[in-house]
Amino acid sequence: MAGATRTPLVRADASRPEAVASLAMAIAVGLIAVGIASLFGLVPIDAAIGGVPTVTALGGLLVVLGAAVIGLGVGSALGYIETEPSPNAGLVATVGFAFVWFVLGGLTASLVLEGGLAWLPAGAVTGGAAFAMTAATREDIGSTLPAGAVAIVVGGTFLTGTIGPVWVWDLGFEQQASMTATFLVPAATIACGLLAGWAAATAYGGFGARGRRMGAYLLIYVNASAIIGVLFLLIAFTAVRGIPGLLTGATVGSGVGPTVSVLGVSVTLPVAVPFVMNGVSLLNDFQGVLPAIVGTVWLVVGAVVLAVPLGVGAAVFLTEYAERGRLTQAVEVATNGLWSTPSIVFGLFGFTFLVPRFGGNKSLLAGMVTLGFMLLPLVLITSREALLAVPDEYRDASAALGVSKWQTIRSVVVPAALPGVVTGTILGVGRIAGETAPILLTMTGGTFVSGDRAADVIGGFAFTSQPPFVTNPELLQATTALPFQLYALITAGVGLGDNVSNPVEFQWATAFVLLLVVLSFYAVGIGARYYFRRRLRHE
Amino acid sequence: MSETTPTTKTDRPAKTDQSTEADQPTEADQPANEPDVTTAADATNGDGATHTTAGETDEQVREEWREYDFEGMAKFAVEDLDVHYGDDHALQGVSIEIPENSVTALIGPSGCGKSTFLRSLNRMNDRIKSARVDGSVRIDGQEIYQDGVNLVELRKRVGMVFQSPNPFPKSIRENIAYGPEKHGDIETGPLARLLGRSDAAARDRLVEECLRDAALWEEVNDRLDDNALGLSGGQQQRLCIARCLSVDPEVILMDEPASALDPIATAKIEDLIEQLSEEYTVVIVTHNMQQAARISDQTAVFLTGGELVEYGDTDQVFEDPHSERVEDYITGKFG
Ligand SMILES: Nc1ncnc2c1ncn2[C@@H]1O[C@H](COP(=O)(O)OP(=O)(O)O)[C@@H](O)[C@H]1O
Ligand SMILES: [Mg+2]
Repeated sequence: MAGATRTPLVRADASRPEAVASLAMAIAVGLIAVGIASLFGLVPIDAAIGGVPTVTALGGLLVVLGAAVIGLGVGSALGYIETEPSPNAGLVATVGFAFVWFVLGGLTASLVLEGGLAWLPAGAVTGGAAFAMTAATREDIGSTLPAGAVAIVVGGTFLTGTIGPVWVWDLGFEQQASMTATFLVPAATIACGLLAGWAAATAYGGFGARGRRMGAYLLIYVNASAIIGVLFLLIAFTAVRGIPGLLTGATVGSGVGPTVSVLGVSVTLPVAVPFVMNGVSLLNDFQGVLPAIVGTVWLVVGAVVLAVPLGVGAAVFLTEYAERGRLTQAVEVATNGLWSTPSIVFGLFGFTFLVPRFGGNKSLLAGMVTLGFMLLPLVLITSREALLAVPDEYRDASAALGVSKWQTIRSVVVPAALPGVVTGTILGVGRIAGETAPILLTMTGGTFVSGDRAADVIGGFAFTSQPPFVTNPELLQATTALPFQLYALITAGVGLGDNVSNPVEFQWATAFVLLLVVLSFYAVGIGARYYFRRRLRHE
Repeated sequence: MSETTPTTKTDRPAKTDQSTEADQPTEADQPANEPDVTTAADATNGDGATHTTAGETDEQVREEWREYDFEGMAKFAVEDLDVHYGDDHALQGVSIEIPENSVTALIGPSGCGKSTFLRSLNRMNDRIKSARVDGSVRIDGQEIYQDGVNLVELRKRVGMVFQSPNPFPKSIRENIAYGPEKHGDIETGPLARLLGRSDAAARDRLVEECLRDAALWEEVNDRLDDNALGLSGGQQQRLCIARCLSVDPEVILMDEPASALDPIATAKIEDLIEQLSEEYTVVIVTHNMQQAARISDQTAVFLTGGELVEYGDTDQVFEDPHSERVEDYITGKFG
């Protein structure tokens, strides 16, 4: 191929530069992790790491990182390290460096010169310099020098104490907003870590196409793990705060727990966790949220029982029977709109339409139906997508065997779509299980409900000789649910006081239990999806 | 429309693009959409005036090219079959008789309406909204395009195997038992089990029989409960044939059943077709000329525009075709 550069098939041994680059990448990733942790308050910046003040330590590491990156670039440019750099670092890198240096120069100028518009030319000068530097040089210089220099400059200000733990930049706004070191130091560390880490990864890959791929990988991995890390952090945070309250008064030993009877057989549980096994009453040693847990579970079960058959049925009609046209489009737009309707609107609907029809007072049933309506659009949308994704070949094959359309739908199409339906239901349940506003209006009575008033929906069914032949007073009673309880506990402080010895622990424990309940619904849903997928596929 | 007597009109020079010409009626009394087959000289009508062009030759289709005398009974008798998709005229006045217990191959370039013709034999075209079918198709003398036809019964009698293997995402056993179960011929549901009427044994017998007939039993008898999608492409296609056999059809329609398979799997399917033709009437669409020559007893050639150009004994069609266009097609000059 004309003009193609020949590069050696096997790269010469490059273990030492690669070790330097790996070390630089490790430092960068470590700095990013520390930065994120310190943003969340896990690593206080006014403390010390191993005897060295945190800010100084960060600064030192940044300088080392910057030096390593620059060293790699210069080493490559001088031919000490064997690489395959492109003629320049590329447009994205150029613009990115120019922007970073513009911000850096501008900030410095406005801090040093205090006021005026002097920051603008200063930023323009540094940004322009970075632009020229990156654009005009070969990739190995262009992508390492500006990045390493940023790390060194920022690290230097940390090292010299120009920016210390108590540094504050008063922005001078009326609202008295100010930029504190608590935010700036971690943020700057993360930014420098990303920049220099990218440069180090590029150098690790020997620049060129392979190097850029390595750089991109580094950014993607750091990004993904940061997201996952934040998620776990949230859960861990709630757990750490919630577990003490959850375990208040918990005991293990034979015969300590409450007695439950399943199908006529009474069993005394060997564990007692009052928080999830008790309600609230004056006589209790420890108060608990059992009625709220039961209420939440029944709410979700009721909503799913209502919404899934309706939603799947509507989706089957729209996908398999209705002509694709105005009607289906209108329904689609309407369902999408319904799914984004604020939950309080559903609550109002339940309050004014359902509550008067179910005995005039708030009730579990009204809550179930309201949440069922909320869940319906998502079940409909996802079921429709899942049905549309079922290959037409299945329908053809079934029709060619002389099987009727309805039987085909029942035996082939819907089973093939079930994993999708379950996915939609899981997502929807995640939303409605934590919904507070609608149940506030339709279902909840007192915040502190005693344990013997936990809704016993199954036991509540009674058969009568007159229509409607079956009654269930439990469904028609107000009860409570976890999100509502949490809301009431926190905002209004309802019921706090003598009843609960440590209110904050109680609130966190309630939040943690809500999280656990929602996660266990997820687990059930994911298990169901796995089961249906297993049946469809051959693994 | 298959009127083939030469008109008195003077011949026009052949066009390089026959399809554009076919779309433009030149005579006022000619109905639109009918191809102008009478404008060019018949390539074989003795005066030696052939009009060979780079593409297809302009020639008249003669009635006798499509006449095929066979012994035995005709399974299908198709007369003047026209199929439109919206304004698109996909099949033009096809008339053909298909003998029973034999293999009939349909060949022709893509888009010439082979699949359309096949689908009109078990009324699968009804499933395509834009399709309109005119004409007559009789199976064992009974018209299938009339009111009161039981589509379930028709499709039980006339089974179909599709181009790409399409087993259901169920176990091998369930795939085979699907049709009979839905038709209520065997009952294995919980209710039947409760009433002591479960036909599980009968179902297992049926599954084995169908898989044996489809030459698949030896390969899968130890994993009947595995998902069918875990089989190889060739095995899946034979499973589809077995599934088709499960409702005890008389006719099996196959639309390029081997086009997605490797040569070994193709060879297996071809062997299977030969065996099946002893008991069943097989109509097979194929892209592959050698395959048609190998396995079929008679061959029908469709050419662009959706017309049946030649139909006859396979040896005759391949060795000594009447139509020059068919010869060009078979020798690979176009298609
Ligand atoms: N479902 C359909 N809707 C509209 N037009 C179709 C459809 N199926 C086939 N056709 C048209 O009918 C003609 C014949 O198609 P087909 O029978 O699939 O040809 P072949 O199987 O010989 O390749 C083609 O022009 C094709 O575009
Ligand atoms: Mg086809």
